[in-house]
Amino acid sequence: MHAGTTRRSVLSLAVGTAAAAALAACGDSGGDASDEISTDPVTLRFTWWGSDARHKRTQQVIDLFTKAHPNVTVKGEFKEWNGYWDSLATTVAANDAPDIIQMDELYLSSYAERGALLDLGTATKHLSTADFDAGALETGKVGGKQYAIPTGLAAYAIVANTDLLAEYKIALPDDSTWTWDDLKNLGAQVSRASGGKVHGIQSWGFDTGGVNIWARQAGATLYGDNGDVAIPPAVLAGFWQYLLDLAKQGIAPPPSVTVERAGAALDQSGSATNTAAFGTWWNTQLPSVAEASGQNLKLLRLPGEKAAAPAAYYKPSMFWSVSARSKHPAEAALLVNFLANTAEAGDILLTDRGVPANTKVRAAITPKLTAGDQAAAEYLAALKVGPPPRVTPKGASGIEAILKRHSEAVLFERQTPRQAAAAFIKELQAEIDAA
Amino acid sequence: MSALEKFQRLGTTRSGPRRKRDNKAAYLFLLPWFAGLTVITAGPVVASFVLGFTDYNLIQAPEFNGLENVNRMLSDERLHRALGVTFLYVFVSVPLQLAAALGLAMLLDRGLRGLAFYRSAFYLPSLLGSSVAIAVLWRQIFGAEGLLNQVLDVVGITGRGWISDPDTALSTLIVLNVWTFGAPMVIFLAGLRQIPAMYYEAAAVDGANRWTQFRRITLPLLSPIIFFNLVLQIIHAFQSFTQAFVVSGGTGGPSDSTLFYTLYLYQRGFNNFDMGYASALAWLLLLIIAAFTAVNFWAAKRWVFYDD
Repeated sequence: MHAGTTRRSVLSLAVGTAAAAALAACGDSGGDASDEISTDPVTLRFTWWGSDARHKRTQQVIDLFTKAHPNVTVKGEFKEWNGYWDSLATTVAANDAPDIIQMDELYLSSYAERGALLDLGTATKHLSTADFDAGALETGKVGGKQYAIPTGLAAYAIVANTDLLAEYKIALPDDSTWTWDDLKNLGAQVSRASGGKVHGIQSWGFDTGGVNIWARQAGATLYGDNGDVAIPPAVLAGFWQYLLDLAKQGIAPPPSVTVERAGAALDQSGSATNTAAFGTWWNTQLPSVAEASGQNLKLLRLPGEKAAAPAAYYKPSMFWSVSARSKHPAEAALLVNFLANTAEAGDILLTDRGVPANTKVRAAITPKLTAGDQAAAEYLAALKVGPPPRVTPKGASGIEAILKRHSEAVLFERQTPRQAAAAFIKELQAEIDAA
Repeated sequence: MSALEKFQRLGTTRSGPRRKRDNKAAYLFLLPWFAGLTVITAGPVVASFVLGFTDYNLIQAPEFNGLENVNRMLSDERLHRALGVTFLYVFVSVPLQLAAALGLAMLLDRGLRGLAFYRSAFYLPSLLGSSVAIAVLWRQIFGAEGLLNQVLDVVGITGRGWISDPDTALSTLIVLNVWTFGAPMVIFLAGLRQIPAMYYEAAAVDGANRWTQFRRITLPLLSPIIFFNLVLQIIHAFQSFTQAFVVSGGTGGPSDSTLFYTLYLYQRGFNNFDMGYASALAWLLLLIIAAFTAVNFWAAKRWVFYDD
């Protein structure tokens, strides 16, 4: 009977949201981001996704903020990643969006271009961006307006388990010169030496980092400047062919293991369980993976990078944004300012939301970082990067689901890499066109 | 004087104002139900019908786009895949589930000891079957390192990731649905009790074996109950959502092999900012279910036997 209820509640939500949208059209926002900070009681709602550790840290920062502004009450609403976006979409539709919204690059355009986010350029009275790296700030702009402030930066990396490599007497590669063939050979050596107990490489193909870099190394990009899909089918087919080869040659685990791990928590991954010697991760995930693994892990640059034209890039790990319909935009901007610009907040948050994009905060917290966090920060600082990729266009926020589906089809050999590439491009473009 | 007449009398002998007050009280008590019907059920149903003819991204106001959503359905490959998966699921799991329910009901009907216990034990899964907890349990059982593979390992068979392999993922959900045979079983059990024992005795005297008794007596006399269960379970199976959502992490994967219709609808509406199209999909599902139910009723004339 539960299934019936579910369908019905989907329907009822659909309608509730329709009514709300109609109301939204005539509702007023109630305040201006350049207003004076109110001395009357103000309640702000603040939503984010993340782990328990992040929830605790964020709550501490909220407590600091409300201590300095006793008339402001901040209600934290936190969720895990998947439920977060479902719930954000419905609350925005119901004209009940939280005031401060933790935002991701995948969804930024989808919300900003539809008018759900406040142009933070109107909030400069309370929210400073002076200490941010200009390139990093650029990632939060859509159509020239600053809809979001990056919390931190991350970069794609290979995590190598140096204990495993030492155990199988395999030398650590030189990551300034290695190629994709080198990675494949090293992985094959590990799989052979372990007798199948440990695989050389944890397969990837489920996040946008891997495919972005593959495209950029081939001199292409995932999206063109106009927001259309621009990756050539042959390049994408090459990406999947590589992953298919890894699986077929026993360098990566069998497809069903890969698929199962891709859907599981971080601590069940090959890198975290010490059953894969190499894996792709965002550099900021190193401390969590290392903690689960308990062995020595090292961040390596991706294979195939050319010093003259690096494909690596800084990805804004996430953003702060404010709802366009916030009743208290000035106070919301003030809280974002506190989160993004103060050393007090930085001291608590550290690199939990990426290595801070605010250069002053970054400098202030660096001595306080743990070894893992420092390694992540050093990797980021030493990395040679190219210009950031175009922000994910409106309508393409579901790219990772589409990518995952086609990676699965390739690994289980239901589609050839070429077929998958053509189908992926067609489907993603259709989503962008429909939005 | 019959009870009905008494009741009618009661009505007429009441004085005017008192009656009015009673009516008011009745309406007051009806109010929660009525509010629920209009606000939570009827309103949304009407609104989703209207939204079905719009382009509605949840954030901006909906815009009418005529029959565009219907047009899209014709060329939507994932919708066609979702329909394929859902039909396969309904056509395989419902007959299996009903067969299991009938089989168990007949076993229990033979009056074994502790019937109440067995009946409850078998009924329990259908209470739990579409819950999140069971779906999570399913993941644990059919995972690559799950219970099933550990058992198979002992017997020397190398299993596979049943849920993460597109060839077997849907089967695990079908098994889950079959396992929730308790609800139809209880209804079958009640139906079996209605069949007079003398028919069987007479048949036995005439030399009919068990199989013939089953075919000639049990099936025809039980056919209204089978029909009822069939209609109900088909509707239920078309609406399955939770199992696939939890087992596949909301993706319908691997490779769309568990993409139930309702799951696809949910993805369009809530993951892809496509609520207009999702509303149209909800109505298409309603039409499909209505069509199946109509066909069922039409076909019932040919095989359902009413004993009155």
